[in-house]
Amino acid sequence: MPFEAVFEELVNAIMSFDAEKVYESTKKALDKEINPVEIVQKGITKGLRIVGDKFSKGEFFLMHLVAAGEAVKKVMDELINPELEKRAAKLESIGKVVIGTVEGDIHDIGKNIVASMLVTAGFEVYDIGKDIPSAEFVKKAREVDADIIGASALLSTTMPAQREIVELLRKEGLKDKIKVMVGGAPATEEWAKEIGADGYAENAIEAVNVAKKLLKIEP
Amino acid sequence: MLEFLRKEDARDIHIATLETLERTGIHTDSDRILNIFKEGGADIDSKKKTVRIPEYLISEALRKTPKKIILCGRDPKHDFLLEGSRVYFGLGGTPVPFIRDVVSGENRRPAKSDVGECSRIGDALPNMYYLMTIAGAFDVPWEAEYLHELEAILSNSEKPVVFASPGADGARRMLDMAATVVGGMKELRRRPIVCLYGEPASPLTLPKANENMIEFAEARIPITLGPMPMVGSTGPGTLVGTEVTANSENLAAITMVQLVNPGAPIIYAGWVCSMDPRSGICTYGAPEFALGTGALNAAMAHYYDLPCFSFGGAAGSNAPDAQAGAEIMMNGLIAALTGTNLVHDCGYLSNGMVGSIEMAVIANEVVGIIYRILKGIRIDDDMLATEVLSEVGPGGHFLSHKHTFKYLLSEIYIPQLFDISSPESWVKAGRKEIHEKAREQAMKILKEHEPTQLPKDVQKRLSEIVKQGEKELVKKTQQ
Repeated sequence: MPFEAVFEELVNAIMSFDAEKVYESTKKALDKEINPVEIVQKGITKGLRIVGDKFSKGEFFLMHLVAAGEAVKKVMDELINPELEKRAAKLESIGKVVIGTVEGDIHDIGKNIVASMLVTAGFEVYDIGKDIPSAEFVKKAREVDADIIGASALLSTTMPAQREIVELLRKEGLKDKIKVMVGGAPATEEWAKEIGADGYAENAIEAVNVAKKLLKIEP
Repeated sequence: MLEFLRKEDARDIHIATLETLERTGIHTDSDRILNIFKEGGADIDSKKKTVRIPEYLISEALRKTPKKIILCGRDPKHDFLLEGSRVYFGLGGTPVPFIRDVVSGENRRPAKSDVGECSRIGDALPNMYYLMTIAGAFDVPWEAEYLHELEAILSNSEKPVVFASPGADGARRMLDMAATVVGGMKELRRRPIVCLYGEPASPLTLPKANENMIEFAEARIPITLGPMPMVGSTGPGTLVGTEVTANSENLAAITMVQLVNPGAPIIYAGWVCSMDPRSGICTYGAPEFALGTGALNAAMAHYYDLPCFSFGGAAGSNAPDAQAGAEIMMNGLIAALTGTNLVHDCGYLSNGMVGSIEMAVIANEVVGIIYRILKGIRIDDDMLATEVLSEVGPGGHFLSHKHTFKYLLSEIYIPQLFDISSPESWVKAGRKEIHEKAREQAMKILKEHEPTQLPKDVQKRLSEIVKQGEKELVKKTQQ
């Protein structure tokens, strides 16, 4: 089977939203000793881009987006990354994002979807979880030399933590270096401006676009 | 009463719930909640913080839960009893992040004064039997947001108040405020003017915030539940699967409350919420939302013979328009016809993201119509009117007949807002659409309606509690 057919099978597997098929197709590609970087670029990324486009057009729904994202995360964690390590190779990251749900808030489904979309778009994502104190966001961002902090809040009483993160960055002189994106039901574009955050997005696909824009990456 | 489930369907959901609570269990991040279940005899995994609840504990809890709960107003004329198929609608729900400005029609961040204004509207609208809110207080320190909101509601209405004050601390402060209004905890127990809205986190989680229910259970002041799993995201992709999720959270909370204090008043809620599969937004105006939060919820509550809480008069539309009207009539009517006792969210737009005074006024009218439908068709010999027909005879009229005077005005609902005039009159009156008329009525209420004030000393003590609370809470976050 020529390489092109292997990639096509992988793309189709992603479009079938069947994690097992995605796993098998990826494994098959690796068994043929195809370079994992190429598998990601020509198979996985292509498949995810189609899913994302169809989601934006309203042809696919959240379940498709999440299922494709989870299937890809599994093969990245279990197959691609170990193989990359073996070869001492690395995927090119288009930016580093620290993402989490703010302190006092346990709602993390939206945050998880955004994290998974960022990963699939090529960002290096550090998901620090839910109910995370503002200082932890900043600490982690400093530790990994992040470009962006993404802070999610679903409650009106936890939104102020988004402001706190911006202020902490300012205090530590990191405000210009690290961009802040906010999201969650009560957040708005206006709120982002008010607290001095750099970006806001209403949904996961939009979040990827905003993140790319903030880092001046071509869409 | 309209029934969507057969008794054996409800039983299937109950059995599936028991299986879920026994096999999968619920999660909690609260040691206090974990301990209550542990001492009560549930199967605890302290490491994973999961609770598996055996059937007998749930059956015992259901047996101990009151079958009727009274909610009281500051003035007893506002008291009402929740049981059977009695239906009471109320204004709003939990504090809302935006309000549609009644003057400009623009959405903006609400302030504490908006919470007060909305409460005054709710106090004046006759079909709103109790108050939650359609605004949040965004101009106060966020740490004390709940205290300010509750103060604004209690100060602007005499009707019963349902309010969500999270965590043990939030609950204690809410109890303190309510007790201050009625003159002590003993009096509050006798005449509960507040009811706590406790919300489990779906799927299958009782977060630390739910410790508020423990405080209310100990104080024996009413609690109402509100699990909101959404079909296909925080619940399985089927209506009944999501009902099993909601019912599990609900029965876990009821069991917890009855372990804390047997006989403590708690109102059933097992809601199935609908989701827009494109955005993930919880769609209040969807038909499945009405089926899930109305029909399924009421069916399970009746199966357990417990009073229940749900949605009605809540719109998904972003404006007080035809869509909003269709939505609130649909979910309001389903809730009422299926026998939901406590119905909330009148005045919500945009799936609970925007509060609207115009919508509250429109909902008041819609609820009036719903109550007329609930009243149904009365029949007896006198009403069959054969005597009257014989008296008037063919070709006559009934306009001035005694029999007409006796019955007509109790048979016919006369709208206070909806336009039922002729097209000419409508044009002459300025071609006003419903939201314009609603705005006028709202402005009139805001100008004229003054609710009975709290006694000066009570008002003062209430605001002292809020001030003191704010001081403590703001300090806490600055440490």
